[in-house]
Formats: sequence, structure tokens, C-alpha cells
Amino acid sequence: MKNKDHITILGIESSCDETAAAVLQCNRDRFEILSNIVSSQINIHRPYGGVIPELAARNHLENILPVINQALSEAKIAPNKIDEIAVTTGPGLISSLLVGAQTAKTLAYSWNKPIVSINHLKAHIYANWLESQPIAFPAICLVVSGGHTELVLMKNKNSFKKIGQTLDDAAGEAFDKVAQLLNIGYPGGPIISKLAESGNPAAFDFPRPMIKSNNFNFSFSGLKTAVLYTRKKLPKINKKIIADICASFQQAATEVLVVKTIRAGQKYRVKTIMLAGGVAANKELRNQLIKKTTEKLPKVKIKIPAIKYCTDNAVMIAAAGYFCKKTPWEKIKVDPSLSL
Amino acid sequence: MKYTTTSAGETLALAKKVADSLKGGEVIALSGDLGAGKTTFAKGLARALKIKKPVTSPTFVLMKIYPTKGKIKKLVHIDCYRLTGPQDIEAIGAPEYFNQSDTITVIEWPEKVKAALPKKTIVIKFKIEKNINKRIIIIQKYGKNKRD
Repeated sequence: MKNKDHITILGIESSCDETAAAVLQCNRDRFEILSNIVSSQINIHRPYGGVIPELAARNHLENILPVINQALSEAKIAPNKIDEIAVTTGPGLISSLLVGAQTAKTLAYSWNKPIVSINHLKAHIYANWLESQPIAFPAICLVVSGGHTELVLMKNKNSFKKIGQTLDDAAGEAFDKVAQLLNIGYPGGPIISKLAESGNPAAFDFPRPMIKSNNFNFSFSGLKTAVLYTRKKLPKINKKIIADICASFQQAATEVLVVKTIRAGQKYRVKTIMLAGGVAANKELRNQLIKKTTEKLPKVKIKIPAIKYCTDNAVMIAAAGYFCKKTPWEKIKVDPSLSL
Repeated sequence: MKYTTTSAGETLALAKKVADSLKGGEVIALSGDLGAGKTTFAKGLARALKIKKPVTSPTFVLMKIYPTKGKIKKLVHIDCYRLTGPQDIEAIGAPEYFNQSDTITVIEWPEKVKAALPKKTIVIKFKIEKNINKRIIIIQKYGKNKRD
């Protein structure tokens, strides 16, 4: 058996609408990214305002082998030099997950390589390990994406304790739905973030749901409804008003996320605060979390992955493969509602 | 039946009332705009069925399954907001849960998948009134619907 300290991992990801493969070389917790291929289906799903499961699955099927081939050839690695295959098995869309998992199982069997079953949420968190400096524990991680909003306490790199979560909509979903209410397109996150740059974040006083509650849970459904009411009451709507609504909504959502993360950091006396998930690509959230951490918890380190490792990718899946245990390929099963 | 609620609390209470009348096997379609109270109603059903896990929006994963104890063993919560037609709901395997005697299925945005729904589906319509906290909630059987 090969020493786990020096291994090369092929990561495969297909949980939603990105088909991705990456080759990662791991040398004692130091990672070298040899390739990172992401084939996005965003243009295919844009007309529908969201990911269509059947379309997604069909596109994954078409793309998965070319994407894996490209990842191997860019990394200049032959299949026999791969030590492990890491694949996302949940959470996500069942029909999308199956394509990646089935492909990984087939490759593991035919190449005779071990396989690691990866929880997509853990992988988002492990994206914080891609840069070399070690992470000091305990750490708190805010995981924000289209399907999740969770605060996770980590006592070591294999322990994940959910201390809070959204009680209704995920943060990313609120961005998508608000964009839909305002009729400004899909996906909502990047569009709102861009329009907000020219808007006034104090123009509308949207609620900060649960900001005072004595726990670490979130709620974004009411905030979305508040935007709807505001929109309905306005007699006229123009570009400036849209920009103001975007900026004010983004500010309300960001503030709740940041305040609660800092509060969790204080309560659990953490040494590191981390950000993860697709919404971690939001500039305002990144900036405000850094600013508030420096202000309120000056001794705490803050870690945020590069934007390309926040949105769905296979590098993070391969990194998680380094930290997680192998599974016999026969036992690999997908679970669309897998939790941490 | 037509009901009027003026707060999320009242919508939850109405959901409890509906839940108490369920025998198992029902498919409930929740129809109405964003913010009309569909998810609040689903939460009320879950609470009445003694589900402790928070019922979160299934928009992203499309379908969430909540196990519970008693005669009714599962609440299946489906969101068709992002779907394009009946073939999509079949692609995620949802119809396997319809009319199972130990399962209650709740479907948000049912308009998108009408043809795939069972005939006996209970349709609950949510309307936002001019007074923005007020909701008109109409409960009817599909059978009474003109399309059948």
C-alpha cells in the first residue's frame, strides 16, 4: 500500500450543474493542483431560471469522460499514476450525482484503484486547505451555497459539528429568488452582486431575520418576502431603484451571516474563521467577514478560498479525498440529502 | 373551503388542522406566488406530524424526505419551482411516493407538473391580499377541478 503522505488523487464532481474533474498531488497536507477542469452548464439552464434535473444529467453524461480526460492530460498523468479516485456522493441532485458516482465506480473497478466517497459540503470546507498554511483549531466555518447555509464547528480536521443552519431558504436561494422577483436574470448571486455595486445599501431597510435570536440559525424566506412587498409597493421601477434594492438586500443578508459567524467565533473561542460554498464567491460577504473578524476578533485568523475554489469544482473533492476514508467501490451509494 | 389568515402563525394553525384530517397516502399541492405561505404551510404540516428536523426549502435539491413515527411514516416535500414539466418530476423519482399509505406528499409549484399528479390530489391555493399580511387560502379536491 502506498503511503497516504504522497499521493495523487483524481477528483470527480457532478452534484449539480458543473461537470468537473481535477488532479491533485498531496504531499503531507501540502497540495499541488495539477489540473482543474470545470464544464459549466449555466448557459443551458439560464432560460429556465434554475437547474433542470433531466437536462443536467444528460449534459453530465456527455461531458464527464471528456472532462476527466482533459484533467488527466493537463496534469500529464497517466491513469496508472493515480492513487485514488474521490467522487461526490451527496448532497445534490440525484440524477446528477449518479453520473459522477457511476463513472468513478467504473474507473475504480477497471483501473483497480481505491475510491473515496465525498460529502460535497465537507469538500467545500476542505477547499480552505488548498493553500499550504495549517489551520488552527477550534475553527468555525460558514458554509453558504444555493442549497445550504450552515455554521460548522471544527475541533480538528475530521470533526464537523453543525451548530446552526437555515430554517427555510438557503442564502444562495434567496439571491436567486430575489433576482427572479426583480426580473433581472439567473443565477441571482453574481447578478445582484454586480448591480449592488452601483446601489445604496441603506436605501431600503430590509429585515435582518433572526439577527438577535439566541442561537446560530438563519432564516431568509422572510427577507425574500420583504423584498417582494417593497417591489409591489413601488409605483415605478427603474435601474437606480433595482440597484438600490439589490444593494439593500445584499447588505441585509450579508449582515446576518457575518454577525452570527462572529458571534459563534466568540462563543466557541475559535482560532480560525473560514468561509466556504458557492455564495463565498460574493465579494461583499468576503469583505465584510474579513473586516468584522479583524475588528471584533483581531487574534483570529480568517481563511477564504480563492473564488474558483468556492464555486463547485473537483479540486476540493480531491482535497477531501486526502482527508477521508476509502470505500469499497461496491458500497458507493449516492444520497441526495446527505448532511454533514 | 375558503380560509383567511393574517399571520404566519395562523397559516401554521390551519396546516395543523389539515394535518389532523390526513389518513396517509394523500398528495397535497400548494399553489401560490413567492412569499404566499406555501413553505410556512408545509412547516405546519411537518410540525403536526411531529417532525423535529427543520423543514427547509427543497428548491435546490427538489425533494426532501422527513421520516416520522406513527401511522404516517414519511413526509415528502417537493418543490417544482425550477421544473419544466411532468417528465422532470418523474426524473427525480417523486411519483414513487404518491398514494403510499404511510406517506404524505406535499408539492409546491404543482402547476409545472400537473399531468404527473394523481387525480385525488388535494389542492391548496394561496393568495396574497392587498393588506400584505393577509392570505386567502382555498382548499379543494382535484376532482372538483374543471380539468378533470
